[in-house]
Order: sequence, then structure tokens, then C-alpha cells
Amino acid sequence: MTQVCVFLFYANARIHHHKVMLIDPRTGSHPAVRFDHHPPVKGEIYQLDHRSFRQDVIKEVVERTMKNIIVDNPKQDPRLLLEETLYHERLRMKKARSNWLTSPYIHQRNVNDKAFIRRVQSELKSISGTEDSKRLVKSYIHHFSTEICANFEPEVYNFATRAAPWAFSWLLNAASVNRILPWGMSESLQTRLRVVGHVDHLQKLSKKGTILLVPTHLSNIDSLLIGYVIHLMMLPPFAYGAGLNLFTNPLLSFCLSRLGAYTVDRQKNSTVYKTALKNYSTTLLKRGIHSIFFPAGGRVRSGAIESHLKLGLLGTALEAQLERLKENHPNPNIYIVPMVMNYHFVFEASSLIEDYLAASGKHRYMPADQPEDFFLANMIKFFWKLFSTRSELWVRVGQPMDVFGNFVDEEGRSMGPNGTTIDPKSWLTSNGELVAIPQRDREYTKMLGEKISQRYHAENVALSSHLVAFSFFQALRRQYPSLDLFRFLRLSDSQRIVQQERFYVEAERCYHMIRKAADQGQLHLSDALRCGDVKIWVEDGLRQLGLFHDAKVVKASSGVFTTEDMNLLYYYRNRLTGYGFGKLDEASQKHNFYGETDEKGFLV
Amino acid sequence: MKKDFWSESNIAVFGGGSFGTVLASLAAKNVGSVSVYMRNEDQARVMNSTRTNPNYSKDVILHERIRALSSFEKVFDLSPKMVIFALPSHATRDVARAAAKYFKGDEIVLHATKGIEEHSLKRISMVLSEELPIVRIGAISGPNLAGELARNEPAATVVASPFDDVIQVGEKVLTTDRFRVYTAHDLVGVEWGGTLKNIFAIASGILESSGFGWNTRSLLLSRGLAEMVRFGLAMGAKSETFLGLSGMGDLIATCSSSQSRNYRVGFQLAKGLPLEQILSELGQVAEGVRTTRIVYEFAMDRGVEMPITETVYRILKGEWSVDRGVKHLMTRPQVQDEWA
Repeated sequence: MTQVCVFLFYANARIHHHKVMLIDPRTGSHPAVRFDHHPPVKGEIYQLDHRSFRQDVIKEVVERTMKNIIVDNPKQDPRLLLEETLYHERLRMKKARSNWLTSPYIHQRNVNDKAFIRRVQSELKSISGTEDSKRLVKSYIHHFSTEICANFEPEVYNFATRAAPWAFSWLLNAASVNRILPWGMSESLQTRLRVVGHVDHLQKLSKKGTILLVPTHLSNIDSLLIGYVIHLMMLPPFAYGAGLNLFTNPLLSFCLSRLGAYTVDRQKNSTVYKTALKNYSTTLLKRGIHSIFFPAGGRVRSGAIESHLKLGLLGTALEAQLERLKENHPNPNIYIVPMVMNYHFVFEASSLIEDYLAASGKHRYMPADQPEDFFLANMIKFFWKLFSTRSELWVRVGQPMDVFGNFVDEEGRSMGPNGTTIDPKSWLTSNGELVAIPQRDREYTKMLGEKISQRYHAENVALSSHLVAFSFFQALRRQYPSLDLFRFLRLSDSQRIVQQERFYVEAERCYHMIRKAADQGQLHLSDALRCGDVKIWVEDGLRQLGLFHDAKVVKASSGVFTTEDMNLLYYYRNRLTGYGFGKLDEASQKHNFYGETDEKGFLV
Repeated sequence: MKKDFWSESNIAVFGGGSFGTVLASLAAKNVGSVSVYMRNEDQARVMNSTRTNPNYSKDVILHERIRALSSFEKVFDLSPKMVIFALPSHATRDVARAAAKYFKGDEIVLHATKGIEEHSLKRISMVLSEELPIVRIGAISGPNLAGELARNEPAATVVASPFDDVIQVGEKVLTTDRFRVYTAHDLVGVEWGGTLKNIFAIASGILESSGFGWNTRSLLLSRGLAEMVRFGLAMGAKSETFLGLSGMGDLIATCSSSQSRNYRVGFQLAKGLPLEQILSELGQVAEGVRTTRIVYEFAMDRGVEMPITETVYRILKGEWSVDRGVKHLMTRPQVQDEWA
């Protein structure tokens, strides 16, 4: 029976997607993704291996930043700017007291920062002239830039790309329930990691211009997974902005800082730091180094698809494109490629949703104290769970766009409406000149941000576990329609029960809703959901939903469905919000529900 | 910017109606040359040979820099740096679609249409951005009765766009010593202002025809403005925009001028004539009739309170008499809002 259904998954998969892409019938991944070993592909990032190149980059970042904050801002008093930077830094240092848990890497950074702050403070007392202040600003920018700038060491990369598949398959087969299978039928990563979507397109464009990959961000796992997926897609390594929290583990920190991951310290709030960070990104893109950053900033707290993006860093793409055009570069284009990751479980889920509820609920929310942190042990546990439970990771590569958010074709040309093509140069020409105009460029970037968020929703892959959480949540809500979010989340154990029949009615209803939306291109369905048999996807979803957690997110026993953790339930259910599915009454004419809540505070 | 960039450039105006000709005449004073695109070849020929536009005013001689053209090829051969759409709302999409492939991408696009697309409820700037390979789009809107502008009476308008690029160029190209251009970023508010005022023009005609005086009409204008703001806010506009030329300004002009088609519809309605007869006698499109229905339905759906719009809607539909409508409005429960 199961085999028949598995067959149906794939038959369906092929029927529905034969126009968009060819599904590898064996793996479900895009055929252009190679899971077997292949040598690393070289790219522009290899230049970061050379000391002189790094020095060049840092020099350029310092010059650009000086220009942005001093030269273009004649009214700006450099002394005030220094004082502001010092103020932010002192505030940050107060919070950042090291303890024995702090990693050596972070500790060293803090020590350096402290020494630098002291130096600047003492110098600031003794200087008087504007020129001196400017010199000091410059040295501050240099300090930040050096800290941001990444290394890239090909040896480490070669090692990592060899070690990763080996480690993955070792874990996979050690953990697999199928390890008693005869040799040759052992599990491999390809059955668990689904890389789908516009892979070919991305591969082609990577040779025609510079790629800026903008993934959604759920978990710390993302950064590692993306690095590996890029290798599987046979793309050269990318530079990427990684949050400092990833560097807390010494091993990870060692690898990441040598693999082109530059550090993004979200605690550093000063204009000087933020401008330097932006300029670092511009400088890399301008030099044709493929890059990645998470445009929403950190991990999404609510579990939903990101709807509000940080435009500052995103704007660096347009800036780099304009400069490459001005330099008459043969491949001037920067291509923006959204990417959506979906997991059946996110191990930081409890702390993330906790953060979200605390921030949105304020006094309405009673915090629990169970901080979850990111340790290597957790990571291994994550993959162990993944492999031992036949869970899947979905990575969907979105349709590539230009820096304005227009789709680009396989040749890298921007496509306009009615069969027109757009020359990016013409959109950057004002009054007959190819120039940067900050206000215009901010508007373009705002458009790009909206487009990315829209594409995130469209490229989202609904998983069976999401839909189980969603259906259960809706069914439960129908029993307490008058409760607002925070009252609802505090339902007692005995109140959190949904009769099996009611659950299935709701599950069918929700399924039809998302199936219809999927047919209209609003999102995608995983294979298990495409199968369509409610019993099968519910079973699949129940088995996979949040299985990393100690609490059962949705549990079925003796004719009733229940949950042991309302917050986690809300978190996983939120992955299907932003489409209006969460409305209890009939949907209105509205088209865009991204990040919206209803009158009771629930994400819809 | 090169100093003489705009004074040497060509611009194009799509639509040879009265307002299109007004805009072409204003722009001709500031730019190198102006093409007026009109589909009808004969009309274009007549306009070029007689130097007048019969659609506009037979007495006004067109500026020497204006030329009428009847094909997109000819218009775009001159590489216009700005294109102004001055077409009725229902025609804009088709013309834009047909012209799309001629655009190079560096053009600035403005439109002067006071209406919305019927079924989609889309503003004209949205329609244009869906059809053209252009996003630098803006709107021209304000109390600009074509006849008065033709007589060169002092007047002003608003050019709105999220892009400074667009509004600066709009200001440069359209400003003359008798015509001022104000600028705004709130494109949503400006476009909806120009659309919504037509509803109240109908109401104004009804009141005039019923013989009411200035107290009643001021009441209509003030509370009509409040409805415009409420609706505008629901659509994402800013309330301040409605206090300006494109909101209050246009509302006063349209509700006071007996030349307004919408006003005439209201005037006849109150006389007891059925709507079909009025519209067929009018022979032209009164945008306000459609607008009232679209806005009323949308406001109901979104829960936006618009009692005057509702009353106009019911009178237009023949459900209510004018007396019933007036009674409904005057005896509603008291409401408190900051627009009282």
C-alpha cells in the first residue's frame, strides 16, 4: 500500500512539474544537483586567499565608508560621530561581558574591541582639530572593516567539501533504520535533501554575472546547509554574511572564517559599523564575488515566511551593479536569487517563538525560561534525528531577478511586461546620465524587497507537518473563537483536545485551500502533500512534525488529537501564514496577507 | 544633470483630448519638442495643418513645438524622454500595452487620468506599471478645468510619485508663469483623491437641483472630504494629501462647476429623470457613476464607513429618492471623528 502511494507521489510530481522542471524520479531533487563527489568549482572568491587582495578590499571599504559618512555629509561633525560610535560600543560592551562559556573567538574580539575603545577615548581627549577627528574616524572604520573582512582558504574549502558528504553519509547510515539493508541499498543524502526549483537557471547565470543569493532564515542550520547546497549545485563558493552566534563554536568558527563567511555583528549599532558592513558587501559584489546574506536580518522569530526585509544591505546590489555598469564591465549584472528552506523541525523553535511572543505580546505574554542555544551537540542531534526518522530538508531555489526585482531569462536579460526586455542601464539613467541618485535607488530597493518577500511566499514548499500543525490549530481555534492569541496559547492541557473527526474535517478543508492556492502558483506542495490522501499526509506529518522537541507538537491517541506545547504548535503552523489561510471567516478580497495578523492577534 | 537636457528633449503626450492638449501646450514652453499621439490619422493631419485642436478650443493656436503624430513608430523615433498619458481610464491599459515595446526604459511616465480600472480597482499608475517596462511613473492631478487653463488663468496642479526623479522632472516640464506645480510622494492619495471626488460631484448636483444653499453644500464638501480620507487611509494613502490641491482643491472645483459631467448627472437625477436617460442624453462617460458603485462595494467589504457614497449609490440605483437620501444622512446616529 505504502509503495503504491510512494509511486503516486512521484507520478504526481512529474505530472505537475513537467513544465517547470524535471524531477529526478529517484531523488526528487533537481537533476542538476550532484550528490556524488565532485571537485570544488573555483570562483572569484579565491582571490580572498591573497593577502594583497584582502588589503585592497579593506582599503576600498574604508575609502567608501569615509566618503559616505564624511565627504558626502559635509554637515556631519566627525567628533560627534566618534562620540556616537563610542557610546554605542560602550553600551554593547556592558551587555557583552565575557564568561567562561564565551568562545575564544568571541572573547578575543571583545578584548580587541575594548582595547580599541580605550585608545580612541584617550586620543579623543587630546585632539582638537577636525582633521584629527577625521583620522580617528578612519581608523575606527579600519578597525571594523578588518573585523568584518573574511578569509578564504582553498585548502579548508577542499577539505570541507570532501568531509561533508562523508560525515553526512556516515551519520545517515549509522542512524538509519534501514542499515540492515543489503549493501548497495544504503541510504544517501539525496533522499533526504531536496534541492528543487530554478537550479539550472542559477547555474547558467553564475557564469553571466554575479549572484546574490537571499535565503529565508529559520535556523542556524541554514548557513551550513546552504554552503553545502551551493557545492552540490556545482557553483563556486559564495561569500556570506553570518551572524556572530555561529562563531561561538570553535570548530565552526575556524571553518567559517576560512570559507568566506564574514561576520555580521548585530549588536553593533553605530552608523560607522553599519556603513562599513554595507560597503564590504558592495565591494565584494562589485568585484564579482557571488554573495549570500539573509535579507531579513536574523532568524525569523514567528516561524512564518519573512515579510519585512532589511533594505540597507539589499541596496548594495544596486550600488554594485551601477558601478559595474559605469566601469563598462563585460558582465555587469547582479542577479538576485531568493531561496526558501523548509524543515519539519527547527531545533531553536521554542526560543524563537518565545522571542516573537514576548516582543509582540509585551505584558500579555508570560515568558518561560528555557533558553536554547546552538551547540555542536545540537547540530549532530539534528542530523541524527533527520536521518533516523526519514525526515526531509527542502531547499527551493527561486526564480532569479535583477536588482529591481524583474525576472531575468536564461540569458540574463531582465524581462518587462508584454514581452519587453529591460536594459538595467536605462533604469539607472536620470536626466540623460548614468548616475546614483540615493532617493531613486532607495525606491528601487524597496521594490526589490517587496518582490523578494512575494517570491518567498510563492516559492515556499508546504510540508505535511506544517499542514498537520495548521489544521490542528485551526480546529482548536474553532472551539474557542472568542479567545485572542495570548489567551488561546494559555489553554490548559484538558482544553487542548480536538476530536479525531473534527480534526479530519478541518484537515480536508485546509488541504483544499492550500491545494487551490498551489494550483494558482501561490506556493508549492511537498511530495507527501501532492499525494492528496488525507490519511497518508496526516500520518506523515504527525511522524515528522517537530520531532526534535521533547514535547509532542501534535499527538494522536485514542480518537483525539492534542498538543503538549501550544507555542511550538503556533510556530510550526505559522509557516503557512501570509496567505490568508488562517482567517476563521470567509476571506476578503485582499491579495496580500504577508505578515498580517487578524483582530485577535493571530498571524493569518 | 546636463544644463539643457530637458529644454532640448522631446516629450510625448498620449491622447489628443482637451486635457492632453493643455498639458502639451504647457510642456511646449519648457522642452525641445512635444508630440501629441492621436490614433486618428485625419485628426492629426488637421491639427498639424490648422494648428488648432477642435477637441480643445478652436481659438487657441497651438505652440509651434507641438506636432500631432498617429503612430507609435513616429512618436518613439524622436526618443521621447517623458511620456504623458492623458486618456480615459478604460483606454489606458490597451494603449500602454500596444506601446510597451517601443519604450527604452529611461523614460519618465506621467498620467493625468482621474479614475480607476473598473474590475480590478487598480489605480492608473498600477495599470501602467503592469503594462510598461517602466516604474518611474507619476500622476498629475488637481483642480484643472481645461477651459480655464486654455484661457491662461492662474492655476496649479500636483505631480505625485514615489520617485523624486519623476516629480522633479514633472515640475520642470509643466511649470509656467501662470501654472504652478506642487509635488507629493503620496501617489496613492493623489490618485484616489482625483477619483473619489467624482462621487461628491454627483451629490453636489443633486443638492443644487434640490435648491439647497451654501450651508448644505459646505456640509457635503466637508463630510465628503472625511469619506475621502477614510477610504484613502484604507487604501494606504496619507490623510494630509487630501487637504491639498489634488484632494480638497479638486473636490471644490468639481462640485462647484456646472460644467462637470458628474455634477450634471446629479442635477438631472434630482429632477426625477431615470439614470439611463440621463447618461444617454449626456453622450459621454461620467466616471463618477462607475466610481460610486466600485467604491461603495469595496467600502462595504472593508468596513469603511461612507454614508454619502452609500446614499449616492442608492439614489443612482433608483432604490432611494433624494428626500429619503437626505433624511438618511441627516438622521444618522451621531458620530465622533477628528474630521468633524
